[in-house]
Amino acid sequence: MAERVDVAVIGAGPAGLAAAIAARERGAERVLIVERAEQLGGLLPQCIHNGFGLLYFGRDMTGPEYEKAFIGRAQSLGVEARLETMVIDLDAERGITAVSRRHGYMKFKPGAVVLAMGCRERARGALGIPGTRPAGVMTAGTCQRFVNVEGYMPGSRYVILGSGDIGMIMARRLTLEGAKVEAVVEIMPWPGGLIRNEVQCLHDFGIPLLLEHTVTFIHGEERVEGVTVSRVDAERRPIAGTEKLFPCDCLLISAGLIPENELSRKAGVELDPATGGPVVDQNRQTVVPGIFAGGNVVQVHDLVDWVSWEAEAAGRSAAAYADKGRLKAATGVRVVPGKNIKYVVPQYVSGKDDVTLHMRVERPGLKATVKVGGVLWKRYRTVRPSEMIILEVKGQAMKEAGIKGELVVDCELRGGD
Amino acid sequence: MPVMETEVLIIGAGVLGAATARELSRYKVDVTLVEKNVDVGWGITKANVGVVCQGRDTLEFRPEYHRTRLLWRALPLMEPLCRELDVPFKKVGAYLMIRDMTKKEKLDKLARRTESLGLGSDTYYPYPELKEREPHISPEIKGGLYDHAIAVVHPVYLTQALVENAVANGVRLMLETEVEDIEAGHTEFRVRTNRGEIKARYVINAAGEWVDRIAAMVNADDFVLFPIKGYVGVLDRNCSELAGSLLAVLPEEPGDMNIVVPTVEGNLLFGIQLQINRRHDRSTTALMARRAIENARKIIPEISEKDVINSFCGYLMFRNFEIGWHECEVAMSARVPRFINMTIGYPGVSASPGAALEVLDILRKDGLALEPNPKFNPYRKDIPDFSMLSEKERKALIRKDPRYGHVVCRCETVTEGEIVEAIRRGATTLDGVKFRVRPGTGRCQGGFCGPRVARILARELGIPETEVTKAGGASQQVPLRTKQLLEEGGGDG
Repeated sequence: MAERVDVAVIGAGPAGLAAAIAARERGAERVLIVERAEQLGGLLPQCIHNGFGLLYFGRDMTGPEYEKAFIGRAQSLGVEARLETMVIDLDAERGITAVSRRHGYMKFKPGAVVLAMGCRERARGALGIPGTRPAGVMTAGTCQRFVNVEGYMPGSRYVILGSGDIGMIMARRLTLEGAKVEAVVEIMPWPGGLIRNEVQCLHDFGIPLLLEHTVTFIHGEERVEGVTVSRVDAERRPIAGTEKLFPCDCLLISAGLIPENELSRKAGVELDPATGGPVVDQNRQTVVPGIFAGGNVVQVHDLVDWVSWEAEAAGRSAAAYADKGRLKAATGVRVVPGKNIKYVVPQYVSGKDDVTLHMRVERPGLKATVKVGGVLWKRYRTVRPSEMIILEVKGQAMKEAGIKGELVVDCELRGGD
Repeated sequence: MPVMETEVLIIGAGVLGAATARELSRYKVDVTLVEKNVDVGWGITKANVGVVCQGRDTLEFRPEYHRTRLLWRALPLMEPLCRELDVPFKKVGAYLMIRDMTKKEKLDKLARRTESLGLGSDTYYPYPELKEREPHISPEIKGGLYDHAIAVVHPVYLTQALVENAVANGVRLMLETEVEDIEAGHTEFRVRTNRGEIKARYVINAAGEWVDRIAAMVNADDFVLFPIKGYVGVLDRNCSELAGSLLAVLPEEPGDMNIVVPTVEGNLLFGIQLQINRRHDRSTTALMARRAIENARKIIPEISEKDVINSFCGYLMFRNFEIGWHECEVAMSARVPRFINMTIGYPGVSASPGAALEVLDILRKDGLALEPNPKFNPYRKDIPDFSMLSEKERKALIRKDPRYGHVVCRCETVTEGEIVEAIRRGATTLDGVKFRVRPGTGRCQGGFCGPRVARILARELGIPETEVTKAGGASQQVPLRTKQLLEEGGGDG
């Protein structure tokens, strides 16, 4: 027999915790988090650097500190959790099948489900880096876990491919551990992570950032012995003759994150190819009634604070759904990414309520104007793909502008790239 | 160094060596199988795409060839063998397709020959019908010949099962044992290895990539080989619906291989075969990767780079072109009695059960007494695959051993129970575990489960985690403890 719960949250990272808390606060009686790892917090325990909570708590915290604040609240609210429990199936009727060493084979029938599975890193295979297949190639996040949680170092001399935030943070971390980071190599003409990380993790430690470069060959039989780095042209193709060998014993990959939506697919949740996450409405409800989503499973955020906020919205909506048995889909208006906009979340809004739009530009630029339909426009000194733009849009304004069917968001640049 | 004695020494635990060892374990013969790697099936075997075929897709495969005979002898054996050893065997069928109607004549010729040789009958489907059967194929395909008999196996699983069963029936397995030199005497061979000397009456040389080098140690290299390098890409499980069968385009230039193959696990492989290459260089290049994806798109336009989760290179050791690159060598050396060379080229996995029988014929003919081993047990049980079980079976398994309820690899749904069992059966490395029960073969390529598998390996083997390797030797995943570099005064940079 399937166990009844009001709201089941899949994943106990920052999104899952925030969603569970919000669901309890909105009045859901029994809220259960199902988590595959051995502890709560998702990746936060391995993020021992600072920069968390500045927006949410108004204070500079480390990952474990940020996690603790949420775990404390969840516990005091009586949120239940099953740890080391893997959800192996989710169906369109919200039926969950999970397994664990302690609890065995489980079935749940929740009133509503929140997807909070987060994201994973792109691996070497997905990048198709040529060369041999030695030990010493791993993603920056895997390295972070080894160093910060397990107490092991994958090598002493590193090259980092991709200037994602985790990669830059690991460049600093490994340097502090006594290792040498030869270079951070980025294929794009701009860094992939936050400016603050570029400054604090690379510049402050004298670690070279090679823009418009990529790793074109991995050398070594048993272990990595070095990598060839080449400059790339405007089409991101390596330029022959620019190859340079960097001796190293480890190559870290920090080349982007992919929302983890294998379970979402099983349940028939529609995904947005631009975000890699579910198509959601302003309540963070997916196309499958009663299944909500929040955090990095929806879109990869720059700051954990925004993950928490987004997941809270999903948690509240899930509780409302579980309470009344339904929550009308707010899909009156489709939000359409226009000029130089890669994506906008949520993909649907009612057109009547106040909403917060999250978006990313495709190309960076100076003196940018972001225009939301005829409703709102805002100027930015600079925009870049690595920094999410967040805009509040008033329901009243949309009503007055007579928004029907579509809301197009554009970003116009007046300065050069 | 100790001196060991054995009646038959097999060099190389690839699919050929393993099949031969298992076949010999039916008899009361003292057999030793040596392998230089830390695990079995890691040479040429590992990069084989696992197609079980009769070689009837090419006219160069002539009935008078030794290799063709081995293949035809082997094929009826493969499915029952897989059943005995509990190894997945999947009949997928294959379409040999053309993109140009001028090639239709060649397909007709192949079909006629298949029929006349009594190998069955192939059906030709023009594009519209082909499209109904394989909806994702390119509209540029004009038609294709269907061969229903094509199946796939996992070459490494098959090798592991053969070795496991051979060992259970009395074969001695020595891993990390590299042959350094061989001296041929009148009655025995003295084989020097890094683990001491082995005296053997017969030597079966199944050293794969190095088969000619081993043969040269006793001047039994009366054949010439060319290593041909091939590239294989692996697609995400999400793409499995793109092809239900093996899809191949008739080579448009000599040596051109252009295929999409379903695996027993449900991933799709795609690949190209390149020309002669430097031996032991298993590196991929950007050019190969690009050509492979371009070729795959000629078959299924929907295939995208984004869906590639892994890629690797492998070798086919070909006989020289004058003899015909579709010929093979499974024979006692003409110059050195009791020294048997085994090398197939393509398709080695398909031919392996036939090649093993052939070696037994050679040994028998030479006077080796092959008395049945009364204790021979042909059956071997595979490690339970949690992801493939029914709800009822899963529940029962977890009740029996709760570790089967602990999912370690999320992409492939691999449990701790399976990992521990893989280690119990001989996996000592991350790749050893990966090539038995798959953690790390999924879309995240071990990013999440890598540290967890390393921890289980260290625990089960009773070694520090810093000594756990990817594939033996100096391939530790985490060779250092944190703080170690600081204590030692910084990195070497």
